[in-house]
Amino acid sequence: MHPLHVNGLTLQLPGGQFLVRELTFRIEPGEVLVLMGPSGSGKSSILAWLTGTADPRICASGDVWLGDTCITSLPTEKRRLGLMLQQDYLFPHMSVGDNLLFGLRGGTRTERLAKVCDSLSNAGLEGMQGRDPSTLSGGQRARVSLARTLLSDPCALLLDEPFSRLDTAMREQIRRFTWDSAARLPVLLVTHDTFDAPEGATILDIGQSDAVGPVVRAEMKDAR
Amino acid sequence: MWRRLPAVLLLALFGCPIVLGLLGTLLPALGATPNLAPGNGFAMVLQDSRFVGATLLSLKTGLGATLLVLLFTIIALVSLHNSRLWVWLSATLPPLLAVPHAAIAVGLVFLIAPSGALVRLLSPAITGWTRPPDMWLIPDVYGLSLILGLVIKETPFLLLTAAAQLPQLNVDASLKIGRTLGYSPARCWSRLILPQLYPRIRLTLLIIMAFNLTVVDMALLLGPSNPPTLSVFLMSLVNDPGSRAAASAGAVLLAVLVAVCFAVVVILERLVSTVARVRARSGARGRGSSLFRVFGKLLALLSVSLSIAALFVLLIWSVTQRWRFPDAYPSAWAFDRWFSGNSSLIDPAISTLTIASAAALLAMVAAVTWLELERRGCAPKIDGIWFIPLLVPQVSLLFGWQAMAYWVGADGHWLTVVYTHWLYTMPYVILILAVAWRELDPAWSHAAHALGAGYWRVLFIIRLPLLIKPLSQAFAIAIAVSVAQYLPTLLLGGGRHQTLAIELVTSFGGVDRRTIAALAVLQSVLPLIAFVLALLYPRWCSARLARKNALASRQWIRS
Repeated sequence: MHPLHVNGLTLQLPGGQFLVRELTFRIEPGEVLVLMGPSGSGKSSILAWLTGTADPRICASGDVWLGDTCITSLPTEKRRLGLMLQQDYLFPHMSVGDNLLFGLRGGTRTERLAKVCDSLSNAGLEGMQGRDPSTLSGGQRARVSLARTLLSDPCALLLDEPFSRLDTAMREQIRRFTWDSAARLPVLLVTHDTFDAPEGATILDIGQSDAVGPVVRAEMKDAR
Repeated sequence: MWRRLPAVLLLALFGCPIVLGLLGTLLPALGATPNLAPGNGFAMVLQDSRFVGATLLSLKTGLGATLLVLLFTIIALVSLHNSRLWVWLSATLPPLLAVPHAAIAVGLVFLIAPSGALVRLLSPAITGWTRPPDMWLIPDVYGLSLILGLVIKETPFLLLTAAAQLPQLNVDASLKIGRTLGYSPARCWSRLILPQLYPRIRLTLLIIMAFNLTVVDMALLLGPSNPPTLSVFLMSLVNDPGSRAAASAGAVLLAVLVAVCFAVVVILERLVSTVARVRARSGARGRGSSLFRVFGKLLALLSVSLSIAALFVLLIWSVTQRWRFPDAYPSAWAFDRWFSGNSSLIDPAISTLTIASAAALLAMVAAVTWLELERRGCAPKIDGIWFIPLLVPQVSLLFGWQAMAYWVGADGHWLTVVYTHWLYTMPYVILILAVAWRELDPAWSHAAHALGAGYWRVLFIIRLPLLIKPLSQAFAIAIAVSVAQYLPTLLLGGGRHQTLAIELVTSFGGVDRRTIAALAVLQSVLPLIAFVLALLYPRWCSARLARKNALASRQWIRS
């Protein structure tokens, strides 16, 4: 696994306002960087820029590296950055198993089916491959969604408030499952809740500035 | 029981003509009405040497055009979605959709015929032609011009239907997730979006297929004549009293043919969906190709440009005095055709407008009544039934309606024509209003009732004003649908109602291009005016309300 390195990222709105200015960070495999800040401060825009799906009207500069490879100009599908959003977005026309098979890369049919079974088993969802996603609970859906992302063999994981829609009891369980599953990957987590961050994570706080709008204070501190 | 009576009456008004129409076609075909249609219809039509050729041509043009419409729609969606061209297309397509088929067909002929505007633009400088070439003809024997006309007219319909469904499918999020999982945009569309989208546009596709297989006016203008398409061939039979049974039998066979095509589509759907599921499980990511996007953009631009160019050529011809071949543009202009009170334009325009207004008004009243009954639990939610007239071939229904109208002595009557138009406008009005009606928050009505307002007051003061936008759009679409009706007016009007559609198609062979172009322009302008008014009226209502409120608040402050 390689570190995820963002170098000199600046995001500017069409009106000239800065969302992010000269942001630089590096996340080693197994580390979690937590991006926090008020709504509209540009956290999700940073993730969108990293995945190559940012609004084209936003002016962006800077580059992103996975190990020694610069992936800034690669199309989204070539970046190998796994993404989980607030909603799980399990595809409703596919069964749970088909959703996982869709994420999985390569392998023969038998290998693929075996990997999907293993993945479901790891997520505590044995035998659910034939289920319609709409029949799953919120926590089960979140686990399937994460399993699907991990089966695509990403080089880093980007999480955009993935726990915010879960109830309090389920949150802790899914947090643990997520940090256990992504233990070997560099992870960037966007959240409003410091309790979402795992032990030893680094918090990057995005604050406000009256003059130029929200800018990065690049203040690093240990979580909790 | 009494609560449901209005719904039963409305259903009977709509459903009876359909049942009677089908019976009126089937009985003469079976030889059950020897006075009206003597002879064994099926034997007569099957023995006719033109039948097989006409059937094959209908299949070729109808299925070919439908396949291309589906293909172009998918290509346009995949390659244009979220682009600036998509925004432009979304604004351009609705007015193009309002232009009647016959007008587009005539415009295409004037554009791409050997003596058409395109050849004139290139001659003689590039082609060297000083006379119109005779190397190809419109209509061509292969039905290619008919396919072209159907494709450029029907693609916007399917594309807009599909576009209206996209917001419910989380397209952007699905594309984002799919791409971060490593799939190319085209693969994301084929594996994530299209399998969810297709069931939502299936009905529209089937309506388009039924239309393409059975269209008459466009086939008369763009299709070959020997053999013609099956519906045109049947029209030639129905005008001959001795061949009425054969025409009816042919109409029954055409309905069967359409039903078989529907069945084939359903079987193909199953096959494609099975293959797609297997392929989606394979995990093959695919490679993104910018060439595909460029191709899609070019295709969309070409298709829309062709429609706009066809309409522009019509406009030019309608104000032309002299335009000799190979001049690139007219050498003399004549605007007096539009301003001299020309009765060959004004009479059909008035006839068209009165029939369209009456049919649209009836459709609005019927649709609002039905939806209100449905909302109050007095009518079931049965959307499918309203689409039957669009799924059954027009000739199969109208031959029967014509026979029934003869029988009760109602043929040629203005109300009969309006009634027939109502049956064809109703599905579109229901389609547009049903969504808005069901989505309107019932809390508005509850709040008004709580303030002491009765049912009618709530309907007219609260619900209808809140739904003014979809009501205006539905009315405009009803006008557009009615203005385009050729066959219902021809068969039920008994030659007494010379609408623009009738005048345009019947005068196409003989009258000079300038008059034909003026008729086509007028036929296109009426629905466009309705669309513009539908756009402006809700705004005018809002502005008037704002003025009224401002005045009231000033008076209140003064007092």
